[in-house]
Amino acid sequence: MKLTLENVRKEYGETVALGRRSDGESRTDGGVTFEVGDGEFFTLVGPSGCGKTTTLRLVAGFDSPSAGIIRFDGRDMRGVPPEDRGVGVVFQNYALFPHLSVAENVAYGLRFSDPPDGAIRDQRVASLLDLVDLSNAGDRDPTELSGGQQQRIALARALAPGPDLLLLDEPMSALDARLRERLRMQIKEIQSTLGITTVYVTHDQEEALAISDRVAVMNDGEVEQIGTPRAVYRHPESRFVAEFVGDNNVFEGTVLDVRPRNAENRTDAAAGSGESPVETKGFGGGSAEPDLAVDVGGVEIRVETSLDVSEGDRVVFCVRPEHMEVRRDENARSDGSNVLDATVVESEFLGDSTRVYLQWRDRELTVRSDDPLDGDVRIDFDAADAHVVERLKK
Amino acid sequence: MSGPTRGNGSSPASDGDSGDSSISDDHDVGSGVLNVPRTDGGSEAEGALSEARSAAATLRRRVEARALTLGAAVTALVLLVVFYYPVATVFVDAVFVEGRLTVEPIVSVLTSRFYLVDIFGFTAYQALLSTIASVLLGLPGAWILSRFEFPGRETLRSLTILPFVMPSIMVAIGFVATFGRNGTLNAVLGALGLPPVELLFTIEAIVIAHAFYNAPLVARVTTAAWESVDASAVETARSLGASPTRAFRDVVLPQLLPAVAIGATLTFVFTFASFPIVLALGGFQLATVEVFIYSRIQNLAYAEAAALAVVETAISVGLTYWYLRYEGRNRGSGQGARPQPRQSLWPDSWTAKATGSRVAIIGYGLVVLAVFVGPIASMVLTSLTGPQGLTLDHYLFLLERQQTGASYQVRPLPAIANSLRFGVGTLLVAVPMGVVVAVLTTREFRGRAAIDTLAMAPFAVSGIVVGLGLLRGLVFGVDAFGTRLQVTGAIAVVAAHAVGAYPFVTRNVAPLLGNLDPRLVESARSLGASRVRALVDIELPLVAAGVVAGAAFVFAISIGEFDSTVVLAEGSTSYTMPVAVERYLGRRLGPATAMGCILLAVTSLSFVIIERFGGRYGGRGGF
Repeated sequence: MKLTLENVRKEYGETVALGRRSDGESRTDGGVTFEVGDGEFFTLVGPSGCGKTTTLRLVAGFDSPSAGIIRFDGRDMRGVPPEDRGVGVVFQNYALFPHLSVAENVAYGLRFSDPPDGAIRDQRVASLLDLVDLSNAGDRDPTELSGGQQQRIALARALAPGPDLLLLDEPMSALDARLRERLRMQIKEIQSTLGITTVYVTHDQEEALAISDRVAVMNDGEVEQIGTPRAVYRHPESRFVAEFVGDNNVFEGTVLDVRPRNAENRTDAAAGSGESPVETKGFGGGSAEPDLAVDVGGVEIRVETSLDVSEGDRVVFCVRPEHMEVRRDENARSDGSNVLDATVVESEFLGDSTRVYLQWRDRELTVRSDDPLDGDVRIDFDAADAHVVERLKK
Repeated sequence: MSGPTRGNGSSPASDGDSGDSSISDDHDVGSGVLNVPRTDGGSEAEGALSEARSAAATLRRRVEARALTLGAAVTALVLLVVFYYPVATVFVDAVFVEGRLTVEPIVSVLTSRFYLVDIFGFTAYQALLSTIASVLLGLPGAWILSRFEFPGRETLRSLTILPFVMPSIMVAIGFVATFGRNGTLNAVLGALGLPPVELLFTIEAIVIAHAFYNAPLVARVTTAAWESVDASAVETARSLGASPTRAFRDVVLPQLLPAVAIGATLTFVFTFASFPIVLALGGFQLATVEVFIYSRIQNLAYAEAAALAVVETAISVGLTYWYLRYEGRNRGSGQGARPQPRQSLWPDSWTAKATGSRVAIIGYGLVVLAVFVGPIASMVLTSLTGPQGLTLDHYLFLLERQQTGASYQVRPLPAIANSLRFGVGTLLVAVPMGVVVAVLTTREFRGRAAIDTLAMAPFAVSGIVVGLGLLRGLVFGVDAFGTRLQVTGAIAVVAAHAVGAYPFVTRNVAPLLGNLDPRLVESARSLGASRVRALVDIELPLVAAGVVAGAAFVFAISIGEFDSTVVLAEGSTSYTMPVAVERYLGRRLGPATAMGCILLAVTSLSFVIIERFGGRYGGRGGF
């Protein structure tokens, strides 16, 4: 099933929960617009209060939009109550019916429709319990189960009537970290096996990147950017997305100079570090990108961009910590890269690496390192690894 | 992809168009739980059958979608016919005299020294005294219940609900048996060689009887507040340097005062409109507004009664409105994360302080025995004693009256049968009404506050006024749409009882409904349940305890209801047990107490049900 939202807005009295605020600037046309393809795993991610749960509730039909259209396979869902939408919903707090057994919970939706595969109800319930690996839990009381088990029952219950659309509202926020990772793999696996169109809501950007076909990053009632996890991570299109998705170093400065790129000058950033987890080639038009010199607080930093930028523009660009190389040896300078001298403030040992917070001039930078660092360090990064996020309006 | 009752059929078609069915088919092989499009290759007969079935399903859904609205409409209609219309009738009686509009009756009430001072002044005065007495008697109880641990504490705590389900006329009869000239008190005094006292027809008797009713209420709400004081807050104050007394004054007391104020206000509202207790213990010499209105009705002075009723209702509604607003503001302080530890009733060491407080507790216990157990015990005792000691004469009198009583006389069996019939009838009307109102008031919508207030208005209007309105309107007959509408006494009694009782269902059910996670209903609805199905399948089973407790309240209130029943049963055969008690009381105490004991037995049964199902939800219960 294909889900479409067209300029959807939601207001509670004077408060705008979803859509553009009348006073602020906006990049969307008044409301939230996106499309979720058939069988796609689509995630709405953003900080609390950004409107992601509101969006989900509008799709489920628990609330109605103040403006805009929600379509299921092109059909306008205005006025269609939740029970007629054919959606399965899983909430963060499971919302299992405490007075019904696990099997009765899963079977509840089958009171209103026949099992989709023509099976008899008991079979359907058994196969769903099997699907979530809880075959023997049918006769138990939902409250006897652990949080993770309850959440799997909630998933089985939502899937039982064979919904066309699965809606998951922060389904794993109440679970501990390890269980969360295991369950999210299980959810992803079930989703791709069934091929059911899924909208997933989370505030956890790491979870969103791990599980989704595409993500929509939301902020303040609006969609900031939609794309595959890789595209959103590598090419954030707004300062908010750059800062919200993953660790990042965001700079703002004035363009001093724009020159066409010289292919020979290019160095491969990944080659030196050997640990870069993501590819950097193949995005944004390759080596035809012009080279910019940007003045950031008096320091000239060179970045590449495919955006149309001219001298004197204010730009925001970002560099991922994994693209910043720490040089212990002051003389070792790679060609064509930017060099910053900074002071170590704090290190966090993460197990597989160390996250180091640095003070550079009046701002904080984050880099990754294999070793603990302290004192003054020199870091460098390649111009190709700096991504220009946006050109600010003058 | 959907079953026949879901997703109106357009999605399978478009699914087919977009070609994803082939994808589905692939998965189908692997897993048994996939969404498989139903094969539509059936015979025409099957098609027709499924069409008919889906038409029936559509109809059912249409009805279900509107069932809540329908329930609300029926509730509104019932309220309109048996509450707002009768009350309006009384108001019209007060301003229309001999067919012309006049404010003369109301003005005469408001300018008469007799009405203002002797009636309204006295009503407020006795209500104030009763409130003070109830608070004084109730607060030590709250202290003991919330600060001490002893066997039976939980039971005692749930017993504080008991006065609510006690028929007021029965309490009155108990007080007559205790404080009357030949009552238990004087018997005890006589045995001790002391002169008898005359307490009947004095304001003291009325005040003590009111305290019997309302002190447990004060104790109940204060205990709830005390138990919700977080021990951490007290400990924080202590760690910052406050002495135990200072910590009590600064941390505990501010949390208790609103609860005490709520209990006191409610007591004032109840005692201001108190009728049977004042009638039985004060007679017409010490008449409150209610009693005076009743005597005017008996004298067929309807305009005067109506004018008094208008003024009384205005005061009562004002008080109740103020109370509900105050209660609303003070609600939701939340349960303490960790209640303060309780002391044992038997102290570890007998320090002066511990000894003093234990002596005080024993003294209080004796007062409680005298006030609460005394009247009921006296009633039972009086029903079993005669001039020659123990006897069953009074019960035999009831039997005899049953067999030989003249048609105008009140016979016991019809009274019992009527009470039970009206009780069941009231249940059938009041429980659905109460549930519908509870569902409406826990949902957010425009104008909710107005609906809330209108629906709870019966709480504030006295039974006498409703009874008078019903009597003057529907029972005497009303011309509407060219036909004469008239309801029998029995229907009018059930209507009046239901109107008075359903707010108790609402107040028992609404808090439980409000505490339910709204996602339960949303889950049910996304699974295909209509709003009404979600209510029946999910919400009602989860608040069943509240519904049953509310139902027990309804039954007990109907069984014990006196105010409107005595007005409506005037000169008819629809008298109930409380009315019978009052009729017998006019003649001899013995048979009245015997009748009272039967009433006690029936009421106790209702209480057992409340205790079993509602008691464990404790807290504020209905209040």
